[in-house]
Amino acid sequence: MILGLLIVLPVVAYLAWLVWALVAYPIPLGYNLRSLWQRKVSSLSTAAAIALVVGIFVVVLSLAQGLSIAFVSSGRADQALVLRPNARFELNSSIERDRMRILKVHPLIKRDAEGFMASAEVVVVKLFPMADGTDTNVTVRGLERRGIGLRPQVRLVQGRWFRPGLSEVVVPRKMQGRFPGMDLGRHLRMGGRDWLIVGTFDAGGASYESEVWSDVNDIMQAFRRESYSALLVRLESPERLEGFAKAVEEDKRLKLEVVQETAYFKELTKAGDPIKVLGNLITLILTGAAIFAAMNTMYAAVAGRTKEIGTLRALGFRQREILASFQWESIFLCLTGGLLGSGLALFANGIQTGTTSFDTFADVSFAFTITPGLMAQGVAFSLVMGLLGGFLPAWRASRIPLTEAMKGG
Amino acid sequence: MDANRFDLGGGEPIIILDDVAKSYWRETLEIPVLQGIDLEIPRGSYIALMGPSGSGKTTLLNLIAGIDRPTGGSLEVCGHHLNGLDDDELAAWRNLHVGFIFQNYNLVPVLNAFENVELPLLLTGAGRGERRDRVEEALALVNLTDRMFNYPRQLSGGQEQRVAIARAIVTNPDLLVADEPTGALDAKNAEEVLGLMERLNAELGKTIVMVTHDPKAAHHARHQIHLEKGVLDRTVEVNR
Ligand SMILES: Nc1ncnc2c1ncn2[C@@H]1O[C@H](COP(=O)(O)OP(=O)(O)O)[C@@H](O)[C@H]1O
Ligand SMILES: [Mg+2]
Repeated sequence: MILGLLIVLPVVAYLAWLVWALVAYPIPLGYNLRSLWQRKVSSLSTAAAIALVVGIFVVVLSLAQGLSIAFVSSGRADQALVLRPNARFELNSSIERDRMRILKVHPLIKRDAEGFMASAEVVVVKLFPMADGTDTNVTVRGLERRGIGLRPQVRLVQGRWFRPGLSEVVVPRKMQGRFPGMDLGRHLRMGGRDWLIVGTFDAGGASYESEVWSDVNDIMQAFRRESYSALLVRLESPERLEGFAKAVEEDKRLKLEVVQETAYFKELTKAGDPIKVLGNLITLILTGAAIFAAMNTMYAAVAGRTKEIGTLRALGFRQREILASFQWESIFLCLTGGLLGSGLALFANGIQTGTTSFDTFADVSFAFTITPGLMAQGVAFSLVMGLLGGFLPAWRASRIPLTEAMKGG
Repeated sequence: MDANRFDLGGGEPIIILDDVAKSYWRETLEIPVLQGIDLEIPRGSYIALMGPSGSGKTTLLNLIAGIDRPTGGSLEVCGHHLNGLDDDELAAWRNLHVGFIFQNYNLVPVLNAFENVELPLLLTGAGRGERRDRVEEALALVNLTDRMFNYPRQLSGGQEQRVAIARAIVTNPDLLVADEPTGALDAKNAEEVLGLMERLNAELGKTIVMVTHDPKAAHHARHQIHLEKGVLDRTVEVNR
């Protein structure tokens, strides 16, 4: 805490001084901008390198954001998944029919006019050909009609929901672009049957947007499953969860594990962690390289202007004025790259992408959106690069001996 | 040519050097560049500082102009004891009192003639209008009004040096220092620049210290003094 303050305070003070210097110090910014332009080739190539890094930074940021929306927004605190002990994920879990019969009418499950608010579900993974010719695993979820209502973020966009016993499926609207033949009225081939697509749905960015949904019994028949994967239940309140979990775990006929839905998805989100770690690592390495490039360019600029700087000092400009001037020159160099890079990232705006969820091996699709906030972060990031990359060269510039002005050559 | 014992004429001194010395160190080895320099230069002088290459002319000029500090002795220039000024005070003092003329003009390549001449004025707090008037006045004095918005690369060497002279006088300093101001110029341009400097001395009363190893250039000054291996020759040549 104290240590953090010791680092942050000088940086903030330095920044404040720089902003003040911009207004109060006599060396006009135009001098720096023109000097950058004077060395177009090196300035522009450095700016381009920084643009690339900032572009990647913004895209990684948006991917990470997209991933956490895909999982975290999927859960409710008053809902729980019942799984086989230690299964962790629906895909690894199985619950036999007799256990499910007992479980589905557990007295602690919330009831409404239509009965118990629970959905027995099965999850299978099926290889689907994608639009680009490659195959990817897609989660196919069999659920009860009740299960749709237990997911309030899910919304029908087109057509209608599936009916039991008729081999009907609904598909996420977002999947339609990535997989061919997912239009309304067409058929999907899986489990040895043709399934009619009767509707498309939207789940507000949640991971359901990478699942094909159908009736639980149809799926179990077609895929020859003897057991369910899990049961999704709603409780009276989040506080009832502990009691329900205890009851289900201790019931000798059940011996099942209860996981709060929010916790379940949080766990699932960790599947995205390797991507985030990789993304951060790549960003970190590229950032280091970009800062180095900026530093190099600025060192070269300072070295090439030794006499000029000495002359400015002879004319009466002070060390701190030279420092601020060159620091701003570096910031503007990087800022140019930052603006370019953020603009570049904008091109990728809304492009659909998929990532294989490491634990469930199924394709999770999400859109990454470049928001103005993310772009601002990218620009701020380039500012930091300009600050870091420019400090040492600017410092060196401010320390150039005045006698350099007099040297011949 | 009249040889006097260090008499640069009467009048109130503007530069007083008392036993000034400058050494460089190469590890523990002291390399003396200037030794025991005693010198008084009256206001309004035009001095040519001569001597062979490596004799310490530039070093001495740097000390007088306050862009370097002595390792011994004291300097009083334009009414200030330079030894007592810190770096910021010295910078402000240079801006106010000293005009620099360099061998290679040292114009900022990305600034046009007007902006180059304006540079020292940016430090004075003069308003935009006043700055414009003074820059125009200085450029008129060096006869470059028509080149006001040209960049250094669009000017000849002689024109560049005249812009540099305009920059040196724009803050109206008492003292001009010049290190080989004609060293990079052909004879015709050198004459023009030297004529201009003579006018600055004669008409505007500027005190000028000019380092040169060119006897023709030195003849434009009113006095010539000589530096030999870091020691000032006790004889002064009076040109006029
Ligand atoms: N920064 C320095 N470090 C070491 N020696 C120097 C330095 N600057 C000048 N000298 C030495 O001081 C001597 C005088 O240099 P200078 O004043 O430039 O001579 P001049 O202008 O008369 O040719 C030279 O021998 C030079 O090598
Ligand atoms: Mg010299």
